Amino acid sequence: MLVVNDLVTSYGKIEALKGVSLEVNEGSITCLLGPNGAGKTTLMMTIAGVLKPRRGSVRFNGEEIGGLRPDRVVGRGIALVPENRLVFPSMTVLDNLHAGAYQRSDSFEADVERMFTRFPRLRERAAQQAGTLSGGEQQMLAVARALMSRPKLLLMDEPSLGLAPLVVEEIFDIIAQLHRDGTTIFLVEQNAHMALRVAKHFFLMEQGKVTFSGDPGSLAEDEVIRRAYLGSKA
Amino acid sequence: MIDFLQNTLDGLALGSSYALLAVGFTLIFGVLRRANLSFGPAIMVGCYAAVWLSLRHAVAMPALFAAVVLGSVAAGLYVERLSFAPHRKGSAIAAMVASFALWMQLEELATLLLPQHIYPFPPLLDAGPLAFGPLVLRKEAILLMATAVAVCAGLRFLLYRTRFGVAVRALIDDPTAAELTGINVSRVFLLVFALASAIGGVAGFLIVATHEQVTPMLGMWSTLKGLLAMMLGGLGSLPGAVVGGVVLGLLEAHSQWYLGPQLRDLVAYLLLFVLLALRPPWMNTQSAS
Repeated sequence: MLVVNDLVTSYGKIEALKGVSLEVNEGSITCLLGPNGAGKTTLMMTIAGVLKPRRGSVRFNGEEIGGLRPDRVVGRGIALVPENRLVFPSMTVLDNLHAGAYQRSDSFEADVERMFTRFPRLRERAAQQAGTLSGGEQQMLAVARALMSRPKLLLMDEPSLGLAPLVVEEIFDIIAQLHRDGTTIFLVEQNAHMALRVAKHFFLMEQGKVTFSGDPGSLAEDEVIRRAYLGSKA
Repeated sequence: MIDFLQNTLDGLALGSSYALLAVGFTLIFGVLRRANLSFGPAIMVGCYAAVWLSLRHAVAMPALFAAVVLGSVAAGLYVERLSFAPHRKGSAIAAMVASFALWMQLEELATLLLPQHIYPFPPLLDAGPLAFGPLVLRKEAILLMATAVAVCAGLRFLLYRTRFGVAVRALIDDPTAAELTGINVSRVFLLVFALASAIGGVAGFLIVATHEQVTPMLGMWSTLKGLLAMMLGGLGSLPGAVVGGVVLGLLEAHSQWYLGPQLRDLVAYLLLFVLLALRPPWMNTQSAS
């Protein structure tokens, strides 16, 4: 579904992605693990079009999308739940969902209702400013907002970041639920233990490169965790 | 007491024009987090376009109004493309300096086209102020206040009841997240510039029609009043800009009467100084970062 090939993205002269290649299959949960500074967020932002790649290609269902504007990428059917959630703090929960449906010309009220059914706490807080929600609620809102564009592929950048363990469990339940409902998910995580529980396939990324690719059983979990947190040189 | 009421009335009318300028200025500042110093000069270009037209043809008032607004919008979009679009993710200072350069350019253009210092602008309404007992009020002043209220109501509707409004508020809150939800950010920026310039143009038209004259100073004057009112109202808040504009108008009207025209502007700057020094909680000094 998503094929990234030899992708290079740099900030000025510093290459954050040094030729990344990976693949996400339709209907799967694919997970990207790696230590801080490995380039995981850079990769997500490049796929989403916020950062422009210097070299390489991003193909989505056979079509090149590398370097497209972010709104065009959303139009192709990819939505990113960004790191730190980035909900619109001064807007109501309902307006946040409306913003997520910005590109849709059809009626999306039924989808708002579906989001409220999936996330009952968002319904309770529909008229509340998003900035007043708890971290877990904001994460749910960020996911719901991304889903409002009806993406074929959902990218998630560290959804568990800064959340209490119980809330992390809840977020991963939601991820598993979304997957059962047929959403393809490409997930960046620091929480390797949780990520390996839901992932069908995972990649390890270190210093701007993919260094391992396999199924959750193909590498001992403690080895994955060591490399995901510290890198293979540790 | 009569003096006080009369000054208050005059101040409200003056404040309405400042509020309109501040709303236009704040719209751009809030969405782009960039100060557009060419905001006033773009309005001046619109007014000059109308004067240029009126010197050549006998044009009706609605056509002059359209010329001011369209001229302001055209100049505003020119400023956006040249000063702000290239620096959208870059330095705020670079964009501000670029807008300063365009200010000089627009002023130069106006004085090349119409080299006299002062040009007459046709009066909007037939002369004769309205009397309310001992108080008098020019008809233009009433129009100015009514327009300010109508523009604020319209803007509120646009921001809170339309799809465009969702996009604008999303951009104010978080530009990156706005991009990620599929909003075409550069198009919304352009539309915001057009809208802000149109509001500025409406204000400019009413101001020059009230004064019945246009000078190249109008550009600097509009930027200054818009900036000052925005800062008084708390930097980046639209309701704040309206309050700031009205407060500035009242302050000027009263200090002109009690202290004389020389000290009038000093009072406003003194208040701004005190506010910036004390930084009360409603002054959002973080929004520029």
